[in-house]
Amino acid sequence: MPDDLQHLLIWAIPLAPLLSALITALIGPKLLREQSHLPCWLALAVSTVCSAILAFWVMPGNFEGPDPAESVALGYDWLSVGSFRVPIELHADAIAAIMLVMVNTVSLLVAFFACGYMHGDKGYARFFAAVSLFVFSMNMLVLSGNFLQLFVFWEAVGLCSYLLIGFWYKKPTAAAAAKKAFVVNRIGDFGLIMGMLLIWVSFGSIGFDDVLYDHQKLASMDPGRITLICLLLFLGAMGKSAQFPLHVWLPDAMEGPTPVSALIHAATMVTAGVYLTARCLPLFSLSENAQLVVTGVGAITALIAAITALTQFDLKRVLAYSTVSQLGFLFMALGAGVGAGDEGETHAATAAMFHLFTHAYFKALLFLAAGSVMHAMGDVIDMRRFGGLRKSLPITHWTFLIGAATLAGVPLLSGFWSKDEIFVTLSHASHHESYGTFYAIVFWAAVGTATLTAFYTFRAYFMTFWGEERFPEEAGHHPHEATPVMAWPLRVLAICAAAVGIVLGPTHLFGHYLQHSRGFEEVAAPSLNWGMMALSTLITGAGIGLAWLFYVKSPAIPGKLSTALRPLHALSSNKFYFDEIYGALVVLPLWGLAKLSAAIDFSVIDKIVDRVGDIPHVINGITRRTQHGLIPGYALMMFGGAVFGLLIAMGLFD
Amino acid sequence: MKLLLLLSLLLPIFGAVLLLLFQGATRQRTARWIALGTAVATLLVSLALLNEYRPLVGAMMPDNSPVQPRFEIRYPWLEFDASDSQETRSVSLEMHLGLDGISVSLIVLTALLTVSAVLISFESIKHRESEFYAALLALEAGLIGVFCAFDLILFYAFFELTLIPLFLIIAIWGGAQRQQAATKFFLYTLAGSVITLIGVVALVVLAVRAGLPHPCSIPDISAWLQRQPLDPQTQVMLFCLLSAGFLVKVPVVPFHTWLPLAHVEAPTAGSVLLAGVLLKLGTYGFLRIAIPFFPYACTAYGVPIIGALSVVGIIYGSFCALAQQDIKKLVAYSSVAHLGYCMLGLFALNVEGMTGGVLQMINHGLSTGALFLIVGMIYDRYHTRQLTELGGLAQRLPLIAVGLVFISMASIGLPGLNGFVGEFLSLAGMFQRDWVYAALGATGVILAAWYMLTMIQHGLFGPLKEPDTHGEVIRDMGLREIFALAPLAFLCLWLGVLPEKAISLIRPDIAAIARIYETAPVNSLAKSVPTTASDRELAGAIVPMGEPRAEVYESFR
Repeated sequence: MPDDLQHLLIWAIPLAPLLSALITALIGPKLLREQSHLPCWLALAVSTVCSAILAFWVMPGNFEGPDPAESVALGYDWLSVGSFRVPIELHADAIAAIMLVMVNTVSLLVAFFACGYMHGDKGYARFFAAVSLFVFSMNMLVLSGNFLQLFVFWEAVGLCSYLLIGFWYKKPTAAAAAKKAFVVNRIGDFGLIMGMLLIWVSFGSIGFDDVLYDHQKLASMDPGRITLICLLLFLGAMGKSAQFPLHVWLPDAMEGPTPVSALIHAATMVTAGVYLTARCLPLFSLSENAQLVVTGVGAITALIAAITALTQFDLKRVLAYSTVSQLGFLFMALGAGVGAGDEGETHAATAAMFHLFTHAYFKALLFLAAGSVMHAMGDVIDMRRFGGLRKSLPITHWTFLIGAATLAGVPLLSGFWSKDEIFVTLSHASHHESYGTFYAIVFWAAVGTATLTAFYTFRAYFMTFWGEERFPEEAGHHPHEATPVMAWPLRVLAICAAAVGIVLGPTHLFGHYLQHSRGFEEVAAPSLNWGMMALSTLITGAGIGLAWLFYVKSPAIPGKLSTALRPLHALSSNKFYFDEIYGALVVLPLWGLAKLSAAIDFSVIDKIVDRVGDIPHVINGITRRTQHGLIPGYALMMFGGAVFGLLIAMGLFD
Repeated sequence: MKLLLLLSLLLPIFGAVLLLLFQGATRQRTARWIALGTAVATLLVSLALLNEYRPLVGAMMPDNSPVQPRFEIRYPWLEFDASDSQETRSVSLEMHLGLDGISVSLIVLTALLTVSAVLISFESIKHRESEFYAALLALEAGLIGVFCAFDLILFYAFFELTLIPLFLIIAIWGGAQRQQAATKFFLYTLAGSVITLIGVVALVVLAVRAGLPHPCSIPDISAWLQRQPLDPQTQVMLFCLLSAGFLVKVPVVPFHTWLPLAHVEAPTAGSVLLAGVLLKLGTYGFLRIAIPFFPYACTAYGVPIIGALSVVGIIYGSFCALAQQDIKKLVAYSSVAHLGYCMLGLFALNVEGMTGGVLQMINHGLSTGALFLIVGMIYDRYHTRQLTELGGLAQRLPLIAVGLVFISMASIGLPGLNGFVGEFLSLAGMFQRDWVYAALGATGVILAAWYMLTMIQHGLFGPLKEPDTHGEVIRDMGLREIFALAPLAFLCLWLGVLPEKAISLIRPDIAAIARIYETAPVNSLAKSVPTTASDRELAGAIVPMGEPRAEVYESFR
């Protein structure tokens, strides 16, 4: 392909959605109205096709020479100040292509679904404008060639997330959730800004070329410095990818419309942190401590979120905690390459990226299916208020079941393959000489999390689709199954969720492809680990079996169990009290500090100013006394003055 | 070109005089159109200036002076013989106008904000309109005057001149406590500037003694001090004197308490110009005078002290903003925080930081000006600005809500909009100079999001809550208001997407100033050996008198 055409193609991927966002925002509400989805559909179709072509173009064979390479589409100089040069340009390599394919296909399917789901909403045009803007920003983020451009669009996706969580802004909960998401993310962004600045003063550049792919420079860096950089970048990743302790915003983000939850808060934006960490693999691989932190945080997050998901009754929250937990899984994997040299790190990152890829499809599927349930139930999402829906919502039921099975890790489905790779990576790391114990613990935490995952996923499934058929009043007499425009995306996603794993996983297509990204090493594919597969099948079976036992066979057990394990149950159903703890330890003191500052400003600083302003008054209070209007007094003063003058004249003071 | 420069200064004065002359003769309604006409004409002239202006580059730049105005208009207006004990010299005070990239961009900002200020006052100013618009135009003239004055005395004169019209605007057309607010504003800033005046006079005396033929010319003084820096003690003393007025004007915490009061009481137009441009006189003063003139004082005292105060300003200002129920007060405190970034950038004393500082001046003018416009629109409709009385306004006023969210994002520093570039470059510059201040200052990005989004959450989102309007129909943003706001919003986006447009304008001027500080000490993580403590110790050491600049730094390295 000629270069010009190729650059045009790369630029089309982000620009088509941008154009759609502009068109929809400008003429959507007045002219397009109910047709506002059309520009979005068209643009996302263009982006999807272009990313698919790009994915084939950056295939290994298309680049000459032994080095894996990238295709750069030039843009313009955004900033050029002193030694700070930041071009806006697009760098496409294999890992970017993988992200693009994932982002754009999921976006397109979600946009189709949303057409049915959002039908009749007053903000229909606004919704599609924001979604288009999001896809633009996400594509730009993925295609960034330097840290600052990445950060710009990192924030832009955050903005879209803010606008879409607060989409139904009349709901106070939605307005609060939107703010919470933005502010918590900003804590992470603080780390990212600091990390960027530290990279800049250390490397003299913030381009990926100079920082990540310049081996000599990397080797000459102080390891402590690298660790600090990694940790700061990881703080950013923790915010965006909702890792403990910054994970609290993601469950609340479910206040947004369900298609948004599927697209932004499950499949794409929240994986940006994982993408950043994988992209910075050359940095992270130089710091064992940073990798340990990444894995540790991932493990804690995965476990905490999985335990929380066990007792939630809001179907979307179950899925949200599941997302948090799965993201924790990804980070666990990312940090597990320690000590095994470049090969180990590449395996680890490959495992993480593969699970990211499959997760995007099956989690989007689950959310959309949940959306379909919600749509049919008149916006009720509390699982206690409906049940036995498998007869009235057959398509939703089947697709949800496929999604749930994939998430649980039922053999041969996608989740099985990708999760398995993570297990293998972790078990490799547990043989490490100095950190073996740590990784062994993490490995068993991962196994535990996987069991819990299978359990809570099928708990949600059984509670929603099995048991006695019940509808809430809001649903009306007869709940309606998804319309074709909603059903087809579900079907397609179901096929993807089921098949992507077996096509790309055991064949090592994914690994080979990914390892042609810059910063990755070409490594031999690991052979299939039958023991691990057996273990993984076992725990999946156990989880699903337990869920069946608890929620179909004998529904009395959960109640008894929760009374028996009251503290644990309370911990889980109250989400480990994170909101309360943050409220008491962070928000409230800071509010107090704010009130205090305002009070100090008003009654201390300003009062001091007033007192200083009073000084002339005080002085005049003294001098005024001399002007009393009594002649003898003035005469005395005259006399005194005259004597004084005389004394000076006589030279008495010389 | 020179004519254009003169015109941009004279047009508003002409308009103001016209308004005052015919105040009895014309109908009150005509006044606003005369004002609008004048403001638009001034804007066009300033745009023409911008269009004509070409930054000095490379070989064109004389090497010796950190301040290099172009299109200079110089003629002496006072010549006299100055004598001290040894000799008598002939010196002259001049009318010295000129332009550089920094001033031309600030002039355009002033002209633009004045148009918006006039437009927003159409409905809200109901009495003595002629006088009001005359004061507004006089203020504009004063502000433009400061930016194009390259003579110290002239600079000071314009600097002070801006006080009077704004004092009148607040005291006559302000809110309930307008008298108190106006008095405090006037006296506080005047007290600061009087100290500055002492510094100015002292500096001029030194320049006369040094034999400068034009002892008040800023470029001449800066070239002189570049060749032959003052001894450290004198530098520190003069820096302190000159800074006093600027510190109050910026305002740097703890000299800021006049600001919230003045903003709350000022009419919208007054707030727009006060926040948008007037505060920049302080930062501009630092950039134009203190920083190029006193390299030793700036590195040894300016960086640690003003750096610390700026950080305090960012954090403390943000916390104060968080606690406010009055939207206008919230925005006023956010200005304190934003100006903190600006000062942080300027006192990074390197290209990145000072570029960031200047951009932050422009960006804060645009975004805060726009915020005050929107707050004014809300106030015009509901006669309240209390978040306790307002809520869910997005349902009633969708366009205003979109505008407020957009501008708030610019103010928060969302990349892609203007605020980010200035903030980020300021932090980047400071990170190089002394990373501790940058790290502390960067916490402001979290706090800014918190207070602005809390305001949006309570004011715009949630269920509709509005005070009784007594049957008055509440309309969304009208055409006139759109004309006032849209250019600012557009520029917020434009400068966010293409910041290079503004940067290329100011690059050579910033580079010329930054060159002075190339060898100044840093506490940056870029160094392999951490020498934080010793660096500071050495930077505080007194340097022997009269040493040339480079050696001054060498000696405390």
